[in-house]
Amino acid sequence: MRIGAAKQSYAADEALFDSRTQRIWLGVLTVALVVLPFVASQYWLYLTCLVGINIIAATGLNILTGYTGQVSLGQAAFMGVGAYTVAVLDRTLGTPFFINLIAAGGIAMLVGMVVGIPSLRVKGLYLAIATIAASFILHFIFANWKSVTGGTAGLTVKPATLFGLALDSEFRFYWLMLPLTAVMVFGAANLFRTRIGRAFIAIRDRDISAEVLGISLLRYKLLSFAISSFYAGVAGGLWAYFFRSVTPESFPLLMSIFFLAAIIVGGMGTILGGILGAIFMTLVPEALKMVFGWLPNAAEMAVHLAPVRIIVFGILIVGFLVFEPHGLSEIWRRVRRFFHLWPFRT
Amino acid sequence: MKPTKWITALLAAAGIVLAPAVQAQEDIVIGGSIPMSGVFAFAGIGIHAGIQDYLKIVNDAGGIKGRKFKYVFEDTAYKPDVSVAAFKKITGGNKVSLYYGDSTAFQRTINPELERMGSIMMAGASLATEINDSKKYPAQFMAGPDYSEQIGILLRHIAKEKPGAKVAIVFSDSEFGRDPVDEFRASAKKLGLTVAVEIQTAPGSVDVSTEVIKLRRADPDYTIFHGYVLAPIPEFVTQMKKSGAKSHFMGTFWTMDSSTVMKLGESGEGFMGVMPYRYYYDTSAKSPMLDKIRQMRPEYQSTPYLQGFLTTMLFVEATKRTLDAGKPLDAKNLKAALNSIKNFDTGGLIGVPITIRGNSIPVGRIYKADMKAKTMVPASDWIHLE
Repeated sequence: MRIGAAKQSYAADEALFDSRTQRIWLGVLTVALVVLPFVASQYWLYLTCLVGINIIAATGLNILTGYTGQVSLGQAAFMGVGAYTVAVLDRTLGTPFFINLIAAGGIAMLVGMVVGIPSLRVKGLYLAIATIAASFILHFIFANWKSVTGGTAGLTVKPATLFGLALDSEFRFYWLMLPLTAVMVFGAANLFRTRIGRAFIAIRDRDISAEVLGISLLRYKLLSFAISSFYAGVAGGLWAYFFRSVTPESFPLLMSIFFLAAIIVGGMGTILGGILGAIFMTLVPEALKMVFGWLPNAAEMAVHLAPVRIIVFGILIVGFLVFEPHGLSEIWRRVRRFFHLWPFRT
Repeated sequence: MKPTKWITALLAAAGIVLAPAVQAQEDIVIGGSIPMSGVFAFAGIGIHAGIQDYLKIVNDAGGIKGRKFKYVFEDTAYKPDVSVAAFKKITGGNKVSLYYGDSTAFQRTINPELERMGSIMMAGASLATEINDSKKYPAQFMAGPDYSEQIGILLRHIAKEKPGAKVAIVFSDSEFGRDPVDEFRASAKKLGLTVAVEIQTAPGSVDVSTEVIKLRRADPDYTIFHGYVLAPIPEFVTQMKKSGAKSHFMGTFWTMDSSTVMKLGESGEGFMGVMPYRYYYDTSAKSPMLDKIRQMRPEYQSTPYLQGFLTTMLFVEATKRTLDAGKPLDAKNLKAALNSIKNFDTGGLIGVPITIRGNSIPVGRIYKADMKAKTMVPASDWIHLE
């Protein structure tokens, strides 16, 4: 049972992990993540890398939609900008991967700021439509700016190299993905301990009141778009290094819906929500495949089971929305509360 | 118990435990990222059945040199990242020698991995021109002509039927749709045909009224659709026919399944297209393999089924040739064995003997819709591109 956490300073009060138990569990998680690539199969490592990329993109969208209240369906297109930036830099300048990834985030950030301009006049569904339009424009550019993007055939990307070692397998790529994902997630978590993060939340809760309080809507809305797109750009850059082929069809509108679903299922406006949502949306279809594979005569029934599996996945999402609108992070919080009071009150 | 008996008992137990493992090692594994759900499920289900059926024929006949084939597949929902996951899962758990991929995006994405592994030869649903490059894709092939070759076959037929004809192409704004457009222009010019118009539409769009007007104004003798399965072809064909246009309409492989063409209804009468294989019901010539398929499955089997079936036939033939040469089953040997295929009889699936020089089989035939009989009938002889 957790009796209480006495805070003796403002720094302690603001700490991301405020109890010894939390820090121990964080240590356990870190050890597990370090050990994972040595024990996991190629398949699970592949999925873990994919989850990492999706966590970065979903966290970015969570900053914009979950924390600032600006609905966006352009996250996949911003990822595309990042992916193409990496591909083009890699092919033309041959710059190191960390410069390419920062550039991917930077270019996506600039594009995101331009796309964010309509957010000053429109919100809600109208803003969603504006971001969809932006993603169509970006898709058109990817497909038609042949001299840069390679047109519909796209571009191939060489694997990232670190000290002359090509990160061309899941095992090696994992060591790029893991620290980068950790930095991006902790960066996002820290953002909401600053004035900027609190301004985002104020805008989400009531933008007019926020403006009255002296928060510049122009500056902070665009800043939110910029940070969110930076995350998407870095995720897109990682995606390009992971799949090593970028085409206009790599980042469809459905992918943006995937990220929106991830933060809704995970829990909007919480860092943990973006992480859990990305894990859920990436791994549950694979887990369902495994479960359905255990059924008798699964191979013979594959034709019928495939659509059933998709229906079950859809029902799971709807179920979460109906029974826990605050998402997986709220379920996680309840589980934690249970153990805080256990065994006295359950 | 005496020590010798203990040893005998232990060896027997070990035999029981190890026997399946040894057997599994001997199996030749074909992996598959198969779209059993999603937008391409109509093809994936047929492909899956085609692979299973040909392997049943081979395994029932004892396999190749006593080794049987094992087919391990995963549903991909036609998503490249899921296809890659399936590839990792299947190759991680099995010693895979051959693999069926479900899309151009997947086959392109996995190509560096194939080259790195060097142990797997891949074929798949992609008929993209890009894949038909044995330098860039040394471990891959396709069981038919690529999209550019399909357009080439159609234009050859047109040039023969009506020299100097005006031709139009209507294609989807997608990688699939744009694939053969350059070849269309080049081939038309080479064959002395006039390009009347090139029209690009959104994939699967329904309202194409303005595009129809554009096409009507161009008044082509032949209109080729590419990059669609069905929509918006019915809209184009119906509106053009209503307006009295005399253009002949044509499609490429993924449009040409009999059930798809029949959805055009009355206005689809005379709709033509290129087919790399004989239709399930085509009895115009002797075809023992189609007879066998009809025995196994009395109901109509789709063109993707035939594609899966023929791909597997070529997988097996390449394996047989590699094993006959006493070489290990790796990508290089399997591909070399595949490229040694000359004048190969497909049992009538393709009407002429085939030779595989690069990554494709540049052979096809024009079929025409007979809406009264609800079948596709041959409209040309087999056309072989050099």
